[in-house]
Amino acid sequence: MEPELSPHNTRSSRGSGVNRRELLKWMSFGAGAAASGTGIFLVGNQMGRASSPLPSQLTQPPGTAPGDTLPPETIGETIDTTPDTAAPMTPMQEPSGRPRTLVVIEMSGGNDGMSMLVPYGNSAYYELRPSTAIAVDTVIPINEEVGLHPQLARLSKRRFAVVQGVGSNNSDGSHFEMERRWWMGDPDGTGVHDTGAFGRIADGIGDPSAPAVAVSVGNGQHQALLSKVVGTLSMSGPDQAGYLVNADESDTIRRAFQAGLVAMSSGSSDGYAGMARTVMAQSIEFARRLMDLDSVDADGDGTPDNGVVYPGGDLGQGLLLASRLIHSNSGVQVIHVPMGANFDTHENHNEQYWNNMSVLDEALDAFLADLDQRGSADDVLVMTTSEFGRRVPDNGSGGLDHGAASHTLLFGPMATGLFGKHPSLTDLDHDSLRATCTLDQYYATVASGWFGLDGPSLFNGASVIPDIFV
Amino acid sequence: MADDALIAHYLRRLTFGPHPGRIEELAASGAPAALEALLDPSPLPYDEPGLGTDDDYGVMRRWYLSLLRQREAGLHERMVWFWHGLLTSSLHKAEPLMMFRQQVTLRDHALGNFRDLLQAITIDGAMLAWLDGSGSRWEAPNENYARELMELFSLGKGNYSEDDVRAGAKALSGYWIDYEDSLTVMFDDESGPQGSVSFLGVDVDSAEAAINAVCDHEACAPHIAAQIFEYFVGRQPDPDERARFGSIMRDNDLDIRATVEAIVRDSVFNTVPTLESMRPRSPIEWFLAAEALLDVELDEWVLRLFGQVPMEPPNVAGWPGGRRWLSTSAALTRAQFGYDMAFDTAVEDDDPVAAVLARAGLLNVSESTAGALRQAVDSLESRRDKASVAHALVLSSPEFALS
Repeated sequence: MEPELSPHNTRSSRGSGVNRRELLKWMSFGAGAAASGTGIFLVGNQMGRASSPLPSQLTQPPGTAPGDTLPPETIGETIDTTPDTAAPMTPMQEPSGRPRTLVVIEMSGGNDGMSMLVPYGNSAYYELRPSTAIAVDTVIPINEEVGLHPQLARLSKRRFAVVQGVGSNNSDGSHFEMERRWWMGDPDGTGVHDTGAFGRIADGIGDPSAPAVAVSVGNGQHQALLSKVVGTLSMSGPDQAGYLVNADESDTIRRAFQAGLVAMSSGSSDGYAGMARTVMAQSIEFARRLMDLDSVDADGDGTPDNGVVYPGGDLGQGLLLASRLIHSNSGVQVIHVPMGANFDTHENHNEQYWNNMSVLDEALDAFLADLDQRGSADDVLVMTTSEFGRRVPDNGSGGLDHGAASHTLLFGPMATGLFGKHPSLTDLDHDSLRATCTLDQYYATVASGWFGLDGPSLFNGASVIPDIFV
Repeated sequence: MADDALIAHYLRRLTFGPHPGRIEELAASGAPAALEALLDPSPLPYDEPGLGTDDDYGVMRRWYLSLLRQREAGLHERMVWFWHGLLTSSLHKAEPLMMFRQQVTLRDHALGNFRDLLQAITIDGAMLAWLDGSGSRWEAPNENYARELMELFSLGKGNYSEDDVRAGAKALSGYWIDYEDSLTVMFDDESGPQGSVSFLGVDVDSAEAAINAVCDHEACAPHIAAQIFEYFVGRQPDPDERARFGSIMRDNDLDIRATVEAIVRDSVFNTVPTLESMRPRSPIEWFLAAEALLDVELDEWVLRLFGQVPMEPPNVAGWPGGRRWLSTSAALTRAQFGYDMAFDTAVEDDDPVAAVLARAGLLNVSESTAGALRQAVDSLESRRDKASVAHALVLSSPEFALS
């Protein structure tokens, strides 16, 4: 007997695999997800060509008053930058009634801070990096000393702040060691923490009865989201929720399946089997909230109803999911979005980094435009992280080996401009930048300034960077 | 019955099964004989992947999947997957032909000697591309491979210094890939070692000498034996176990097969696990077991959603294991594909629950899972619907997510 044709019949006989395009259609994933599925093979298409001409208005990003520049001779030494306190921020004001949310973009692999915030006014930069320095005339200036990477043209027009020289005073060369320290909020790798940095923040702000207060976009329980009080979880896309809840009355098989999932999620919580049950129960409750309250994509076509176009790829699709979580009253207040791009640029640094900044610029700008349109721009803070920066000198193969301190970016209703001190380019530690701000200071600042928590007590007693949150 | 449960355990851990019918086949001669049969080190025969198409990356991934999904894939194939995760490389930096050649290297040495394997992989084209050894010069060496060689591939952190990383990088210099000529690995005297360096306390002047220094280091055998232990046993060894199996590996001159056999024959492995002591199935294990249960070939897109695509590890550390695969996103993905793939499945048996559990090799399920299956099947009318929901729920169940 021929099986009845069904949109869910993705079964095929041995020898004829399911076509991915068909599968995508059944799964109702948008084009963006399809693009991210082909992963890095798309990246090569836009390799470091087009140097976009600089509109003159870009040379003065928001928050930088004309003339607010630093004396050239001090860069690379210890500069106390003057934050632009004239720019009004919106302290604790929640016009939309939404809780404040933190979006963390993690640049895995080791982000070269000096390619993001280019010290183009410092001759040492050009002397130490004959093959990877960014040409002066392409930098988007912030002042006479530093400016943004040429591919950050869109973001340069947004409200942003740069925290300079973030890292550890005792940095390590290993990705895994430094990732772990960032995820646990433990700059020296000597602390004992039973929660991750973002799980700890979520514990401080969240509702323990919500199915999840922090979400990591992607596969796998994330160490940074380990929590003790509130639920945290990870998911790769919003459409999967429809498999767990809300079957039509008439769809008897799906209803039986969903009832079965609920029944299987009860029972002993011992061992991995118990963990699998608990995770299933958590997923079902979370899916229920997400499906019931979704307002970003009410027509379910995979794109936001307000016309904002999110690019394909991990970051664009991750930020689209972040928008859904923020605008669905899901209870989620911390969203961790790992960036799929490879920042581990031992070779061909310039091309790879150019691509990475293009991805960041396009995807994050779309997200910020989406927030603007929905009136939630004052409810969301975006912060970037990366396990370490890279060596100051080139490595001889057009790349940069593992370094220490780097810079990070903030977007949202904080003060704008440069914060902290730019590390010296001449007083180096094993050819790497010395941290002028520890990663736990960075976290404590956000925990205190954005969420009103006692940041220092959450993060090893680290002090708060002044003036970012007024 | 106790034998059946033990054989199911062997098939989950020593093969990529259980394929339906295998437990019954092996049970005929008992568990001890089954273990001997499953310790057979024979490699699967393979054809070359047929590169030269406009989709060589896909050809290469599917070539590997076609071997993994064979019913005959056994201990040797299991170890190829182990090395592919440990001494890993990726299509994201290495070309398909390089990845094929690396597979040949892994297959040649999968159950051979670790020293030979590490020597071969150090000057393997895919590895030279993946960890930037290609083009690294004595005067300005690239440190990427030297660091990961010691941190991940042989010694573990704490057993070498940053100076060893710098010295090792110099000793490993001089290799390059001739992209103009068949992607051949070449060595250039002028950019290679111009003298010796002190590396791990030994003077070395070549990649071969550096690898020998690594393999002679006291931390090497315990580190590799611990990785093999975790792969088969499903947890990290305690300090005693680490020392015991490290000694066995060292006393056998880093022989891989002897180490694997010692672990598998030991009671740490050779015992029927309880449901509570089982470990999570990795996506590739879940995927291949799901294919075997349904007798279908699934698209590799499923693996992409889980985050475990062969030949595309997320980073130099390969794929993480453990609880990561029991995350919410993995649960959502299992439910999604369990539901979609099980549609219009059929079973001949009058009791679809028992039949599906037996085909899946699940001889020990919890009361909540058994009750959920029974209730769902009873709520539906047609045989086909009952079979579909039974398959869908088994694929989504906590038990099927474990090994």
